[in-house]
Amino acid sequence: MEFLLEINVEEMPSSHVRTAVEDLRDGFEKELVAAKLPVSSLRAYSTCRRLVVVADLAEGQEAREQIVTGPPKAVAFAADGAPTAAALGFARSRGIDVARLEIITTEKGEYVGFRRIEKGRDAAEILARIVPQVIGSLSFPKMMRWGEGQLRFSRPIRNILCLLGGRIVPFVIDGLASSDTTTGHKIRSPQKIAVTSFEQYRAALKEHLVTVDAEERKTALLAQIENLLAPLKAQLYPDPELLNKLANDVECPLVIMGVFPEPYLDLPLEILSTAMREGQKLFSVVRGKKQIPCFLGVADMPADTRGFIQKGNERVLKARLEDARFFWEQDLKLGLKKRALALKHVLFQEKLGSYDDKTQRLKKIAAYLCGKLEECKDAADAVTAAEYCKADLVTDMVREFPSLQGKVGGLYGRVEGLPAAVSQAIYEHYQPVGLDDESPSSLDGAVLSIADKLDSIIGVVGVGVQTTGSSDPFGLRRNAQGICKIILDRKLNFSFPRLLDKVLAVYGDKLKRPKAEILDYGREFFLNRLRYIYERRGYRYDLINAALGAGLDNISHSFLRVKALDALKASPQFEPFILMSKRVNNILTGQPACSLNADLFVEKAERNLYSTFSIVRENVVPMIAKGDFTQAQKMVFRLQPGLNEFFDHVMVMDKDNQLRRNRLALLQAIRRILIQMADYSQVVVEGEPSAVKK
Amino acid sequence: MSLQSLIMNLQKYWADQGCYLAPSYDLEVGAGTMTPDTFFRVLDKRAWKVAYVQPSRRPTDGRYGKNPHRVQKHHQFQVIVKPSPADIQQLYINSLTSLGIDLKDHDLRFDEDDWESPTIGAWGVGWQVMLDGLEITQFTYFQQAGGLEVFPIPVEITYGLERLEMFLEEKDNIYDLKWSEDVSYRDLRYEEERQFSEFNFNQATVRSLREIFNQAEREAGRLIEKDLILPAYDQCLKCSHAFNLLDSRGAISVTERVKMIAQIRALVNQVALRFTGAGGAS
Repeated sequence: MEFLLEINVEEMPSSHVRTAVEDLRDGFEKELVAAKLPVSSLRAYSTCRRLVVVADLAEGQEAREQIVTGPPKAVAFAADGAPTAAALGFARSRGIDVARLEIITTEKGEYVGFRRIEKGRDAAEILARIVPQVIGSLSFPKMMRWGEGQLRFSRPIRNILCLLGGRIVPFVIDGLASSDTTTGHKIRSPQKIAVTSFEQYRAALKEHLVTVDAEERKTALLAQIENLLAPLKAQLYPDPELLNKLANDVECPLVIMGVFPEPYLDLPLEILSTAMREGQKLFSVVRGKKQIPCFLGVADMPADTRGFIQKGNERVLKARLEDARFFWEQDLKLGLKKRALALKHVLFQEKLGSYDDKTQRLKKIAAYLCGKLEECKDAADAVTAAEYCKADLVTDMVREFPSLQGKVGGLYGRVEGLPAAVSQAIYEHYQPVGLDDESPSSLDGAVLSIADKLDSIIGVVGVGVQTTGSSDPFGLRRNAQGICKIILDRKLNFSFPRLLDKVLAVYGDKLKRPKAEILDYGREFFLNRLRYIYERRGYRYDLINAALGAGLDNISHSFLRVKALDALKASPQFEPFILMSKRVNNILTGQPACSLNADLFVEKAERNLYSTFSIVRENVVPMIAKGDFTQAQKMVFRLQPGLNEFFDHVMVMDKDNQLRRNRLALLQAIRRILIQMADYSQVVVEGEPSAVKK
Repeated sequence: MSLQSLIMNLQKYWADQGCYLAPSYDLEVGAGTMTPDTFFRVLDKRAWKVAYVQPSRRPTDGRYGKNPHRVQKHHQFQVIVKPSPADIQQLYINSLTSLGIDLKDHDLRFDEDDWESPTIGAWGVGWQVMLDGLEITQFTYFQQAGGLEVFPIPVEITYGLERLEMFLEEKDNIYDLKWSEDVSYRDLRYEEERQFSEFNFNQATVRSLREIFNQAEREAGRLIEKDLILPAYDQCLKCSHAFNLLDSRGAISVTERVKMIAQIRALVNQVALRFTGAGGAS
C-alpha cells in the first residue's frame, strides 16, 4: 500500500531542509524495521515548505505463531495420561478445547500448552504511532516554538498530510490533526488540494505551481540559466552553494536576468559578486573571467510578465553597488599603510592585545617559517604581506562585507602598487576557509596563512580558552585544519614542534598557561585534526592511529606514513610483521632501557638478528629522513625471519642478568627504528583477540 | 500613495485584525521592539495585539542626507500578535495586498533571517521578507526577551515604512518620497538628517554621553530595587541610546562595547525578572 507523508512548514532554512529530509527518511525506515512492517521504495522529496516521504508498505505485520504455556506436564496429566483438573482449568480459561493441548519443551522442563496464530497489527495502526514519533524526534541546529504549542521544530508546522492507501492515517501532533489535503503555491495558488495518491499529489502540485523534487527544480534552474546566458556567450560566476540554496528556497523556479549601469564595472569582480550575493542572493555573470553588467536572480514565480521582478531587483542592486563604490573610493583615499597604523586600536583578543601586536608577531613567524622551507628563497615578500595583511579590517568595505576580509586587502594592495606577490599573499591569507576550500596559490600566501592561524591557536589556547564539543568560539579547529591542509597540499617539510616553539617564543610572557601544557594541548589538538582529515580521505582508522603514533615531527611525513601503511596493508608480509612487532612490544613492556654489547651475544640466532638489523638500520635511516616510508617499511620486513628465529631459539628472559639485558637491548634498538615509521601496536589484525582502542 | 496613507492603511488593516493602535513611544529607541508595548507585553502570558509606528534611531546609519537609502532615523510599523495565529503569514500577505500590491506580478519571499538583540536579551526565529529583492519586513517568532523564555509565542512583524514606500512609489531616493500629497520626505527630514549626522558623528560630547550612560545605569539599578520597573526600563533605553551615540562618535573600544552591552542586558534582565515575578501586572 502506498504511504504518503507531507509535513507542511513555513519557509525552512535550506540547510535545515537538506538534513531534515534525510533524518525523516532514515528515522522512518528505522521505526518501520523496528515495528517489523515490511517497507520498500522509500523516497523523500522537499521544498522549503514541504518535507515529503513516500513508500510502499505491507498492509500489516506478518502473522506470527505464538506458543502459550500452561501448567507443568507432571501436574497437567495423571499417570494414565488423562488431563487433570489443572489442565482442564487452563484450557477453559483460554477458551480452547482440551484436545488442542500439547507438550511444550522449554528450558525449565516440559509443560502443556498450545499454539495459536497471532494476527499482525495493521499498517495504519503502526503508522499512527510512529509518524508522530519520527516528526517529534527531528532535530535542527536552532529550534523554535510557536503559538501555544510545545513542539519544537525548525519553523512552524501548518499541516500534516498523511495517507495510507489513499486514506488518512489519523493522529494528532501538538494539537494539529493529520489531514488528506495539501496547499499549492503560497502566493499564486494557496488553496486546499485534496490528495489521494503520490502521483496525483505530484501532478496536482505541478498544476498549482509547485515542483516537489529538488533535483528537478535544480535542473530547471540550470536550463533557464543556460538559455539566458548562451546568447550572451557568458557564464555564471560559479557559486554552487547559492544555487543549492535557491533550488531549495523556491517551489516554482524562475530565473530572471537584469542589468546594472556599466560604470560599476570598475569595481573588482570579488566585490561585485559579493554585493550581489549578500542580501539579494543574485548571481554575478561573467564572460571569461570578467564581469559583464548583468546579473541573474531566482524568483518563486511562473513568469515575470510585467518585468516588475527584474526592475525591482535592478533598483535594489544599483543602490548596493552605489554603496560599494562609495566604500571603495573612501577606502583607497587613505591606503593600506595608513590603515595598518589604526590596528593598534583594534582588539584581537582581550589578553592577546591588538591586531597591531598580532601583525608584529606574524612578521616574525613568517620570517622564521620562510627560513625553514627549502622552496622559499626570500622572506621579504611574506614579511611585507604580514605587515599589511590585517589593515583591511579597518576599511568600510570589510565592515560592510566581512566575508571579503583578506581579499579586500589584496585588491587595495594591487591598486596601491604593492609588489604583486605581497598583494597575492594578503589576498589569500585566510584560505582555506574549510577543508573544501582552496589552499593559497602562492607560497607566500601559504606561509602567511599558516603563521596567522597558528598564532591564533597558540594565543587562544595559551590564555586558557578550551575548545570542547561543539564550542569553538575562535574557530580553532577550522584554523588547525587549514594549516594541515596547506602543508599537505604543498607537501611542505619542516619541523612542526620547532614552529610551535617559535610561536610560543614570539608571544613571550603574554601567555599565562605553562608552556609545556600549551604544547601538549596543541600537539593533541593537531593530532585530532589530522586524524579527522585522514579519516575523511578514507584511510583505515587503525592505520591512521599507527601512523600518528609515530609522532608529529613533520606533518607531511605523518601523511606519508599513513600512505605507506595503506599501500602495504595487503602485502603478505604485513600482518605477520604486525604480530611480530606486537610481540616485541609486549616483551619490552615495563623493562628498563638496556645497553647493547655485540660481544655478549652467545646464540647464533641473536647474532644473526643483530647483523640483519645492522644492515636494515643503515638502509632505513636515510629513507625515513627523506620520508620514503614505503621503502623503509619494505626494508624492515626483512627483519621478520631473523625475529622468528630469534624468538624460536633464544630465551630472552634468561636467568643471567647480563644476557637478558643484552637481548632486551637488541629488541629495544629494533623498536626505536620501528616507532619512527609507525606505532604498529595500533594496527588491528583480523582474528586477533586483543581489543584495540580507537 | 504617500507614506501617511501607507501608515493609515496598515493601521486600518491591523486594527481590523483586532490590534490596539498604540501611540509611538516618546523616548529614543533603535527599534519598535524596544518600546514597552512590545517588550513588556511579550513577557507575560496574556494574549496581546498591538500595532504602532515607531521612529527608530540608529546614529551610525547617518549619511548627512547624502545617501539615497541610509538615514539615522527611520520609521517602523510594528505589529505584535500573541499567541501567534496559525494563519499569520497569510494575514501578513493580505496586508500587502490591502496596500494595492498585486502579488501575482511580484516575487515575495520569506528569506531565513533570525533576529537577535543582545542589549535587551532577546532573540527570535524568522525571516526577512523580500519583495523583488527589497527587504521590506522583518518577521519574527519571539523565543526570548529580557533573557527569559517567552510563552505563549508572540509574532513580531516589523515593516520598514520608508523601504515599503520606495517600493510603492518606485523611487530610488528616500528624499523623493511623499509623506503626504503636498509634503515630501525631503521637506520634513533632509535637514534633520544633515544636522543629526553632524551631531552623531562629530558634535555629541563624549564625556557627557558617558555621564548620561552611567547616570541612567545607576538610576535603573535604584529603581529596580524599589520595584519601579517601568521607569527603570526607561532608564535602560536611555543607556542604550547613549551607547549608540558613543558608538557613532567612535568612542567605544571592542572590549568596552562588550562590557557596556552586558551592563544594559543585566539591567533589562532584572527588569524582566521583576516584571514576570509580579505576575505580569502593570
